[in-house]
Amino acid sequence: MIRRLLLALAVVLAAAPAVAQDTPKRPYRIYMALYRGWEEAAQGFKDYFTNQNIPVELIVRDAGQDREKIKGFAAEAKALKVDLVFTWGTSVTQEMLGPFDAPDPARHITDIPAVFAIVSQPVGAKVVPNLESSGRNITGTSYLVPVETQLNLVQSYRPFTRLGIVYNPLEKNSLVAVEELKAQGRSMGFTLTAAPVDVVDGKPAPASIPAKVAEVKAAGVDYLYIPPDTFLNVNRDILTGAALEQGIPTFAAAENPVLTSKAMFGGVYRYYTVGQLTAYKAEQILVHGVKPADIPIDAPKRLSIIINMPVVRALGFYPPMNLLGVSEVIDGGEVRP
Amino acid sequence: MTLDSSRSLLIRLFTLAFLVLVPPTAILSLVALSDFEQGMIPELDRKAAAVGRDLAAQVERAVGYGIPIDRLVGMDEFFSPVLEANPEIRYLAVTDERGRVLFLKGAEREALEPHYRSADFDLARDGRKASIADYLDLALPVAEGGRRVGQVHVGFDAGYVRGRLMGILYDVGVVAAVSLIVAFEILLFVVFFNVTGPMKAVGHILDQVRRGDFSRVAAVPSQDEVGRFVRALTAALRSVDDLYRRLMAYIEEVKTAHFDKGVVERVGEVEARVNFLYRFATAGSPKPMHERRATDIRLPLFLFVFAEELSRSFMPLYVGELMRPIPGLTPELITAIPIAVFMACIALATPYGGRVAERLGSRRVFLMGMVPALLGYVMTGLAHSVYDLVLWRAATGVGYALVTMACQRYISKAVSSEARTQGLGVFIGAVLTASVCGTAMGGVVAERFGYQSTFLVSAALVMLSGWMVYRLLSGTAEESGDLREPSRGELAGLLRNWRFSFLVLFAAIPSKMALAGFLFFLAPLHLAAAGFELGDIARTVMLYPIAVVLLSPVVARLADRTGWRAGLVAVGGIVGGLGLVAPALLPGIWPVAVGIVALGVSHGLSASPQLSMVPDVCWIECRNIGQTNVLAFVRLLERLGSVAGPLLAAAFVPVWGLSGAIVALGAIVLGMAAVFAVVSGAYGSGPHISAEEVA
Repeated sequence: MIRRLLLALAVVLAAAPAVAQDTPKRPYRIYMALYRGWEEAAQGFKDYFTNQNIPVELIVRDAGQDREKIKGFAAEAKALKVDLVFTWGTSVTQEMLGPFDAPDPARHITDIPAVFAIVSQPVGAKVVPNLESSGRNITGTSYLVPVETQLNLVQSYRPFTRLGIVYNPLEKNSLVAVEELKAQGRSMGFTLTAAPVDVVDGKPAPASIPAKVAEVKAAGVDYLYIPPDTFLNVNRDILTGAALEQGIPTFAAAENPVLTSKAMFGGVYRYYTVGQLTAYKAEQILVHGVKPADIPIDAPKRLSIIINMPVVRALGFYPPMNLLGVSEVIDGGEVRP
Repeated sequence: MTLDSSRSLLIRLFTLAFLVLVPPTAILSLVALSDFEQGMIPELDRKAAAVGRDLAAQVERAVGYGIPIDRLVGMDEFFSPVLEANPEIRYLAVTDERGRVLFLKGAEREALEPHYRSADFDLARDGRKASIADYLDLALPVAEGGRRVGQVHVGFDAGYVRGRLMGILYDVGVVAAVSLIVAFEILLFVVFFNVTGPMKAVGHILDQVRRGDFSRVAAVPSQDEVGRFVRALTAALRSVDDLYRRLMAYIEEVKTAHFDKGVVERVGEVEARVNFLYRFATAGSPKPMHERRATDIRLPLFLFVFAEELSRSFMPLYVGELMRPIPGLTPELITAIPIAVFMACIALATPYGGRVAERLGSRRVFLMGMVPALLGYVMTGLAHSVYDLVLWRAATGVGYALVTMACQRYISKAVSSEARTQGLGVFIGAVLTASVCGTAMGGVVAERFGYQSTFLVSAALVMLSGWMVYRLLSGTAEESGDLREPSRGELAGLLRNWRFSFLVLFAAIPSKMALAGFLFFLAPLHLAAAGFELGDIARTVMLYPIAVVLLSPVVARLADRTGWRAGLVAVGGIVGGLGLVAPALLPGIWPVAVGIVALGVSHGLSASPQLSMVPDVCWIECRNIGQTNVLAFVRLLERLGSVAGPLLAAAFVPVWGLSGAIVALGAIVLGMAAVFAVVSGAYGSGPHISAEEVA
């Protein structure tokens, strides 16, 4: 916090003469391409500029979870001649910025600097070649806590030997998560029970989730791990509800299942913080003239541990005192399994 | 020069030092301590309240989230950091509303529960203080929704304040005692250097004058009353000398100029008679007599050894602090290496130091040795890894060897005309007193100001001792010794003397092994591992030199009177071995103290008989290659034990633990001592020549 304040102070001091000169200039124009509406990351992004007193004009577009809508975004951003593009989520980012090894100047944003946020696998999705540098006119933030950190957090709640996961076999994020968990299991000494949801007509079937949860319960897992998976995010109530009914404690790698559903706890970087960090990088590009390729892609320093107290009470599975001391506790009344 | 002739003066000086130093220190300390106590108790109360409120708030938060108070999780980990950060807090507990102990760390449930059960916990918000057995218990309420569901307890050790006060009192006592001894050493030095020494010289001169010898005058450089008196005497002697020379010149004139043969003859008779009755310097004037006194070097030596002993009780702990893992070596071995290297450097540099001292004189070698020692201490304090620490300790070892050899030679030259035992007494006395004071003081300084500062204090002391030698010891050329270098064959021949080699192998070596392996290495580590503070470690280690100091003179007299030397050496070895085996028989940490005292008793019993046995068992060799050379060879061999001791101990620790390593080392020492005890029975048979000279 103090570091952030000092940083902000330094930025303000450094920027002061420039601001004095540039005040008559128009505000920076930023094209914000969102995927599922105005949420915390977008709010954090916006608030940063407000707090830093940086004048910006935000042009906000929302795909409303419709991939078709994204297609027009790049052309519009170019036509508006904006100063910077902000992309939200893997789908929007891939569609607008293209792969790092073969961007199409006609289809993708190449000349305008861009920052991305909420892309779970920037390297796996081929947005950037590595996290140190994009090698091109973009940078961004990662928002996923490393799996090892997540598992250590789970261990500190209560040691475990069996971990369960229900996942969407069609989503790349989930497959990557399963592989990583298997590898961690070998080094940390736990077994993974992975149950893919049924695929019907080429689509994952939400109706099969409770049966899959029962399946991992039967394998005697200590925890159910919820990967950062769009399908599971959409169907989080079904998944966490089933887990609660089966009496399985759940750990979520993203915040939604804990904040707005019935996952027991999670270790995440808050979207709001991620949005602020993304805005900080945008500021480096716009105000200080740093090249996007020179800004590494990283995550916020502070991990947020969120505990969903009604679920904890329903399970009777209480967190250790020291963990409770450093956690954010969500306590919105009672839940029933 | 001997202490005996000045005994009454010394006793008066010591009494004076005692009266000047001790009562004011005692009064000041008592006043300061009572202030400290007054301030400390409310401070502890505040701390307990702060800690208790913080814990209670966290427990309340958890209970507020609906976690039943008896089902809180991870309470041990919750309590641990608080207990670790606050040594005065003995236990932490959570009880339910009826006083049942739910969670507890640091005390026995049985000791507290009966009290909690009967207590009324309907208490005010700021808690309730109670005294339970040795504890002060502060209970703070935990409420949930306005209803009391339990209490958080913070338990203080009622003896904590007393313990802290005792610790400070000990430190003050140590500082006072050390100041007293140092003041006495300084008084001793001043009196000997400025008064007793010159007076003795004057007495010597007057003695010669009484016998008609006017050839020498006392050389006293000082400007005080003593110096003026000596100069007046010198002036009188010079005028006598002058009269003599005028007389001689007149006689010479008469002899060459007079024609009357009878007169010349009479004058020649007068000349012969004068020259027969009186002696005058052959050179133009009386020669100044520089008398060396063993006591002149005592204070510099005391300060130098004091400097080394400062770090005695914590050296292994200091190494441990610098340690980074080195592949292939256990941490214990890494800790032992600087100690072993220090010993090895002393062993290797000692013969060289002896030779150089013969060639260049004590003063120059003392100053030479100061350079590596000073560098060693400063850099040891600034060391940032075990590697450079080893280097600096090696430098210190070389310096230590040079300085101690220089002092030994100075003393032996100074007392060659008198009993050598007394001269050695000056040497051993300074070393042992410095050992007691240095060890004790080092613990206090390190505990209050840290390791680094202690090494800097050592460096300052070395500088002071060097300055004294530079300023006060005369730089006059010293007569070169007639010491002959023994050949390798002669030394090997010594080893073929079974009495000699058994004495070295089964008495001298194990005794040094126990000293370096146990006292310098395992004891500090073990005491530190048991949670002793640095000051306490130092005070425990100090028991060793105290035991030696108390026992040595008594035993030396006993040995001389009864001639029962081999027996004393054997008994000493066995006592030391048994002391080290004590941890196997007794529980807890205090067997370490038993071992330290036993080792002191052991060395008090055996050290001086062991030395005086050497001329006994190899009389012929001493005749052939010189007793000094034989003793130096014993020193070199026994240092093998000093090097092996810590390394051996370090090898044992991973196998049997600290306590087990002490026992293992003790078993070896005991076994070797037993061999010597059996063999010593045979020492009396065969050719046996009693010592002519006791060294």
